[in-house]
Amino acid sequence: MHGIAFITRQAPHGSAAARETQDAILATSALTEDLSVFFIGDGVFQLLKNQAPKQIGSRNFAATFKLFDLYDIENIYVCQDSLLERGIDGTQLLIDVTCLSQVEMNAKIRMHAKILNL
Amino acid sequence: MSSPLNIAIIVTGPSYGRQDALSAYHYAQAALVAGHTIQRVFFYNDGVLNASFLSAPAADEFDLHAAWRALAIKHQFGLDICASAALRRGIVDAGEAERLSLPHFNLEYPFQLTGLGQLAESLVTADRVVQF
Repeated sequence: MHGIAFITRQAPHGSAAARETQDAILATSALTEDLSVFFIGDGVFQLLKNQAPKQIGSRNFAATFKLFDLYDIENIYVCQDSLLERGIDGTQLLIDVTCLSQVEMNAKIRMHAKILNL
Repeated sequence: MSSPLNIAIIVTGPSYGRQDALSAYHYAQAALVAGHTIQRVFFYNDGVLNASFLSAPAADEFDLHAAWRALAIKHQFGLDICASAALRRGIVDAGEAERLSLPHFNLEYPFQLTGLGQLAESLVTADRVVQF
């Protein structure tokens, strides 16, 4: 059994959910390395390069994903089906991630003792 | 009965307008009746709005803020408000109001401003984490 899974399914802007999920992940990484992050559905948009959210008064928190490596957050999974549905390929993403099918994602998430879906 | 659990509750919905926080309150009551302990209730996202003592529901309606307050005092668990999420949404205690030169505050005991470290601690140490 793994420790903690963070599931993030919201687009980066339009609500604070994605940004506040990122904050929670970083804070939790200070206490445990046994955590995984799952980007599903519109959540995959968070990882896109070349965002310019300041133009809509939103914070560009995507740059902070580059710190995940520094914080030893290494188990980062992205739903391949969600990428395909949105016409996104791996080269458009900011950081190295593991792409899994929806079925594989579900199996992986179930291996965690605690699941947070903010 | 199965052995008592130490349960952390995460609330992400506001005190009025959505069911999330009401469901969390009912869950907390039921868990306590069943003999479990509440490690803390951590309020995040729009959940921090539960902390405002300036909410004023109509006289014949359920006052969730007051209900949280009474339950937490009776059963001795913390009502932890994420400070960064709270300040962005206009939820401040007396100390922060003074520090930021704000004209008022709207958060007081048993609600308290804390950090995401409390959420992280619950994720690591609680027997169960239940999110609303």
